[in-house]
Amino acid sequence: MSQLQAPPVERTRLANGLQVVVAPRRGVPLVAVRLMVRAGSALDPARRFGLAHLVAAAVRRGTRRRSGARLDAEVEALGAELGGGVDEDAAAIGLSAPLEALPRLLDVVADVAMRPSFPAGEVERLRRREVAALAHDADEPGVLADRATLMAAYGDHAYGHPSEGRGRDVAAMRRADLAAFHARHWRPSRATLLVVGPVEVERTLALAVKRFGGWKGVPGAELEIAPPAPPVGPAVVIVDRPELTQAQVRFASAGYARSSPDFAAGLVAGAVLGGGFTSRLMEAVRVNRGLSYGVRSRFATGRAGGLFFFSSFTKVETAGELVQVALDEVARYREGGPTEEELERTRGYLCGLYPLGLETHEQWAEKLAEVELYGLAADEVTGFRDRIRAVDAAACLEVGRRWLPVDRRVVVVVGPAGRLRPQLARFGPVKVVTARAVT
Amino acid sequence: MPSPTASTGLIELDAVRTQVLPNGLRLRVLRETGSPTLSYATFFQVGSRNERPGVTGISHLFEHMMFNGAAKYGPKQFDRVLEARGGASNAYTSNDLTVYYEDFAADALETVIDLESDRMRSLRIDDEALEQEREVVKEERRLRTDNSVYGLMEEALESLVHQAHPYRWPVIGWMSDIERISRADCEAYFRTFYAPGNAAVYVVGDLDPDATLAQLAGAYGDIPAGPAPAPVATGEPDQRGERRAEIRYPAQGPALLCGWRAAAARSPDAAALDMLQACLGVGESSRLRRRLIHKDALVTSLGLSFGWRIDPGVFSIFAELSPGVKVERVEKILAEELARVAERGVAVTELKRARALLRSSVLHELGTHHGLAQALGEGEALLGDWRQAGRVLELYARVKPAEVRRVARDYLSPDRRNTVVVVPETRP
Repeated sequence: MSQLQAPPVERTRLANGLQVVVAPRRGVPLVAVRLMVRAGSALDPARRFGLAHLVAAAVRRGTRRRSGARLDAEVEALGAELGGGVDEDAAAIGLSAPLEALPRLLDVVADVAMRPSFPAGEVERLRRREVAALAHDADEPGVLADRATLMAAYGDHAYGHPSEGRGRDVAAMRRADLAAFHARHWRPSRATLLVVGPVEVERTLALAVKRFGGWKGVPGAELEIAPPAPPVGPAVVIVDRPELTQAQVRFASAGYARSSPDFAAGLVAGAVLGGGFTSRLMEAVRVNRGLSYGVRSRFATGRAGGLFFFSSFTKVETAGELVQVALDEVARYREGGPTEEELERTRGYLCGLYPLGLETHEQWAEKLAEVELYGLAADEVTGFRDRIRAVDAAACLEVGRRWLPVDRRVVVVVGPAGRLRPQLARFGPVKVVTARAVT
Repeated sequence: MPSPTASTGLIELDAVRTQVLPNGLRLRVLRETGSPTLSYATFFQVGSRNERPGVTGISHLFEHMMFNGAAKYGPKQFDRVLEARGGASNAYTSNDLTVYYEDFAADALETVIDLESDRMRSLRIDDEALEQEREVVKEERRLRTDNSVYGLMEEALESLVHQAHPYRWPVIGWMSDIERISRADCEAYFRTFYAPGNAAVYVVGDLDPDATLAQLAGAYGDIPAGPAPAPVATGEPDQRGERRAEIRYPAQGPALLCGWRAAAARSPDAAALDMLQACLGVGESSRLRRRLIHKDALVTSLGLSFGWRIDPGVFSIFAELSPGVKVERVEKILAEELARVAERGVAVTELKRARALLRSSVLHELGTHHGLAQALGEGEALLGDWRQAGRVLELYARVKPAEVRRVARDYLSPDRRNTVVVVPETRP
């Protein structure tokens, strides 16, 4: 297999604690800039689920120097769009634009991160829009299923709510909540700036110092999220949507953090079971039985912990059959692990695909942000294939036995409760909730 | 990574090596280094446009059949062999095209050529595979259309915009047609539309162009040519007045989808319509987002779309409304904003912004081997020449403010509007 070409990566920590990562890389004359701050939704205060998400959206709606409209116009005139998002561990803002715009991009990103003014009118419109978007989520069966699964699997843990939050919580948020969250968590010591593209390292670093050197964070203890407890189970949650003709089906059990030594073996095990088009689940569910169009399973990993996560959908009549078929496949895997042929194929698949996710400057910026966020080794990218090739059948079996669900699992299905309950009762005590209860 | 050149600023068109085999198969190969990967795309010039009532959805169903085994690589082998070699494959069907692609580590090229030529030469079409894929496709339809508010609206819109043209039925097909497509239908379909003369192969990435062309010619050369596909009846009567459809569904809130029959991909107006779309709806400072989301706060999500098709496709505007907002109010503002463009046009700064955004999105697409292969294929399939892939930015650069005004006036007029509204009803 041809060698993966990785750009040199320069890491520098500024005096204020900001980590700066510059990766000079040839290719299209664009530059990708990304700022990642460890201010994810796990830090949402009680009854304010969705605050981290709202803050990450609101910082772009105005600063002490620029109105929201001016930020939009300035960024878009460069052909860029200021993207962003939040997951449980971090908020990120990023954009890419022609190389010559780099000084301007850094200026905008610094302004947004350091000096958001949370203009009252903008915050109010944004808040109402987020509440409405959450209500519309109730119309998306797949979104409902994902939300309900996180809530059921993590329970009261900080990961136990979707990043977008809860409608009633977002409705209650005020400008002061946003400003306080930003002041507390958006600190240079919790942030990483990444620049990838055909840039000069020294000049880029000098620009970063100029724009971000004055960022002063409020001092405070570094917060770490404790690992989650395994789900209490077996349990079944039905999100009642009487009119649906297709059920969205999930189940989840305990997993591990991204930095866990189980990561590589779990990646292989998860793919043998439910990745790509040739996995055991794909074969059992789609190829042999025509039960679904799509089926996946994987270990989802965060900074503090993770989940084993199964996801598919089928017509309402066969929801129970689908869960049973999938659980049987999980049990079969726990007994014997992968065959040599499966192992060889899956390692080849994961190694071959890896460089396909690293073709653009943005993809590199995102990958390098992950390295920082999860505290991964410097050879995370270049050593990936060696680590995957080193995973043997015994390691795959062991990781499966340690983590794949037996009893402590939650099954979540979205669809008409009346027709689903009799099919699902055999998987544990059934709780029926409304769509509103999970949005 | 594409190497920018003076000729187009995007793709080194001179570096594309081509050949047409005696059986009609077109081969296009482009060497691009930077990442040790290849993208391999097979474009068949067939989509739902080539179907007829009774077998709607056969193009898409057939796309599924292509993964069920051929003479050399039997059932389940295609993906197993490919994945073992570090590759991934998928396919899509549109109104106009059916496209198969593989993205993989460069040293698996020979295997991929073997796999793809095997199924073009000798696909197995049996009842068992057909029945299984039929069930899978029905689940796909339930997922994307029957249980999706937007899916229901989109299907209704295409049927409003087109009354005679085959674009009036959905790519995935009507459920009743998916249920009745027969093995004989599939066999006839394969003979005609999957013959080499109806296809083109694009390979982009870390490769040796001469050796690759020779390998392709060797693998595909003996596949016999097929019959010419029947011409498509593309007529469509003029629209004389607005058409409306209503969907009653237990949705959380109202939603609105407006569409107009616009220009064909080959029309000189297609680029101006893209620019109009960007002025109206791409980016937060676009006219409609600024007005409906940021100023009036009437809409929670807004999406514009104008897909280039062989025959005139749909220019559409989708809006999900904030709670308590009346659909009529949003419709009125949309009409106002469109009339404003039709009367007064757009400012030069707006065009500049639109051009910069479109440029970024094109550069982004062409930044990967996969994107390059797709762009070459689309250029050839929709515009008649793969060289068009590198020229789209020139087309955007030539669009004048007056043209944006003209296409807004001519295509998006109130009399040619088609409107689909979701009316939330109480859950049963």
